[in-house]
Amino acid sequence: MNFPVLLEKLRPQCEAIIAQYEQPRSALLPMIHLFQEHEGYASPEAMRAVAEMLQLSLAVVESTVSFYTLFFRKPVGKYVLQVCRGLACQLNGAEDIHAYFRERLGIGHLQTTADGIFSYEEVECLAACDRATCMQVNLEFVYDLTPQMIDQMLEAMRTGTFEIPPMAQTQEPGPTWIVRQDTQVSHGGKSIGAVDQPNPNNAGGLDKDGVIMLDRIITQEQRFRGRTKERLANVEPSIAAIVDQNGSAH
Amino acid sequence: MPVTKVLTAGIGEANLRDISVYKQRGGYKQLERAMRTMTPEQVLEICDKSGLRGRGGAGFPTGKKWSFLPRNDNPRYLVCNCDEAEPGTFKDHQLLEEAPHLVLEGILLGAYGINCHHAYIYIRGEFKRGYQIFMETVEQARKAGYLGKNVFGTGYDLEITVHRGAGAYICGEETALLNSLEGKRGEPRLKPPFPAVAGLYGMPTVVNNVETLAYLVPILENGAEWFASVGTERSKGYKIVSISGHVQKPGNYEVPLGTPVRELVEIAGGLRPGRKLMAIQPGGGSSACIFEEHLDLPYDYESMAKAGSMLGSAAFCVMDDTTDFVKAAFNLVRFFAHESCGQCTPCREGGHWLETVLHRFVEGRGLQSDLDMLHKVSHEITGINLCALGDSIEPFLASVLKRFPEQFEARVLKETALPA
Ligand SMILES: Cc1cc2nc3c(=O)[nH]c(=O)nc-3n(C[C@H](O)[C@H](O)[C@H](O)COP(=O)(O)O)c2cc1C
Ligand code: SF4
Ligand code: FES
Repeated sequence: MNFPVLLEKLRPQCEAIIAQYEQPRSALLPMIHLFQEHEGYASPEAMRAVAEMLQLSLAVVESTVSFYTLFFRKPVGKYVLQVCRGLACQLNGAEDIHAYFRERLGIGHLQTTADGIFSYEEVECLAACDRATCMQVNLEFVYDLTPQMIDQMLEAMRTGTFEIPPMAQTQEPGPTWIVRQDTQVSHGGKSIGAVDQPNPNNAGGLDKDGVIMLDRIITQEQRFRGRTKERLANVEPSIAAIVDQNGSAH
Repeated sequence: MPVTKVLTAGIGEANLRDISVYKQRGGYKQLERAMRTMTPEQVLEICDKSGLRGRGGAGFPTGKKWSFLPRNDNPRYLVCNCDEAEPGTFKDHQLLEEAPHLVLEGILLGAYGINCHHAYIYIRGEFKRGYQIFMETVEQARKAGYLGKNVFGTGYDLEITVHRGAGAYICGEETALLNSLEGKRGEPRLKPPFPAVAGLYGMPTVVNNVETLAYLVPILENGAEWFASVGTERSKGYKIVSISGHVQKPGNYEVPLGTPVRELVEIAGGLRPGRKLMAIQPGGGSSACIFEEHLDLPYDYESMAKAGSMLGSAAFCVMDDTTDFVKAAFNLVRFFAHESCGQCTPCREGGHWLETVLHRFVEGRGLQSDLDMLHKVSHEITGINLCALGDSIEPFLASVLKRFPEQFEARVLKETALPA
């Protein structure tokens, strides 16, 4: 189905979603979910269509979509394997499970196999720590993983007999579905001044291992006037008093 | 052993997703009674008297939170926080999937209690199944006339919108959640103003956790005194504790607040044979560890705070002597660095570089100078951020660094020159 046809098909559903909210923009996430279910990813066409329906700029929609890790901005494999790497799972052997997946699939974190069947990601705690180690396949839970289970599961996915349905796949996936991680704008190997910065005292002062940056956080005069609690106490003393009694107010 | 079943009653025994089963067990009676015979103020009063404190992490008294709303008839909102993603917490997930009508009744009661006509629930994006279950739940309740226009013929209109996130821990923070619900990036807002003054769409808003709202149902049923008579002086009632890690029977256990820490370990089947307890993280990934000497403390807000930690979301993660605390610290710091929304420099940069440095330790390439730096930096990135995520990077790391310094020292590279 090409995009204009899909759009006409989904338009009534989009309108119903928008009607649920007091302000149309609230429909942004649900609408992207809807398009992703049909296209397998948040396509540029879908983002443009959502922008038009919500009367937002495309930049606003893209910037919002890019914040959320469950929106794929490039096509993914038929089965998105999201294996938990949270602490409770780690204490129960998640590292071995990760190694096993990586070896069986021949790919690493955030990658898709060349045949387009599997995308693999190690994700944060899935709120199922009593069933560690666990994972999600296309957002359905699979609990208490063992190597034997993994072998059977991957085989069933290859032959198309796995119980969890595959993702819609309207485009060939590439090696990853990440366009650019937001966090890379500010830090990591890609931030301005951080790319093999020869002089760590320049341009943000990051050295390869981060020591100097951390040192600066320690020694720099604090920019904020006072810490959060004190700031609160100045502005809203009544709440600050309760906060003191009962812990934080967030 | 003090395992009690209040919210968890019937889970695993009956199909509570079926509205007729839920009704047979007394479901929706409290909503009907409240809406027919009580004013919103009376609901608030019971909630306040019960001593119920928020179960989402901060432990803020629920009645007090509600009373911050302006007293007028202008639009206001109730938002149920079901974004559960604090490492180790898995209670809301279970309630949502196994007792969805209880969750819904709690939300509707809460909405009535603050006199609001439109409630929202924000469900974590990963809980796709839970979202589908809850949509079905809402449909069943709508057909039965428990929400919509003129509920129970009382003239009160009450609508609920079910909203699904898309993968971002930070959207559990209430102001980030509101931004996300408004279709924006999930970035926390500067407070004040608090949501009670300007929340969703700029209107007064209460954000409450799933478990908090669900407790309204038994509190209405059994009375404020019933709830307030259980627990300790300032930590009243029951609490679902998500026990995980190195125990033999991990799971959700509902207990009176104040149950000794030691009993919680035993309830969950105790340690594996021949193992020794090293540490417990008693309040989710954001909390500092407690140790053997704290085993006889009552598990309540005050005692956990006194022990240098917190009760938080009551995710109780047990670690035995097979634990590599360097790896565990790296794991949690990586989590917070990954989930930082990036607005505040100490949180964004501090988390990222701590992760980098700890990774060096994991690989056995730590520097001697890193050790001192770790001690200092972890304190200096807290207290100066927009939200509590920035303050959560440090507690676990600081507590295990202090307790198990030898595990970190053993990972220091013998040649301590800075790599060129
Ligand atoms: C980073 C961060 C994540 C949070 N995640 C959640 C969450 O997943 N669920 C939740 O109920 N509260 C969470 N909270 C706490 C909420 O901000 C808020 O305090 C809570 O939902 C209020 O409900 P309560 O008063 O019923 O506890 C989080 C707070 C922070 C700072
Ligand atoms: S403390 Fe961290 S997560 Fe919270 S607002 Fe600041 S950068 Fe975002
Ligand atoms: S740590 Fe894996 S589900 Fe929580």
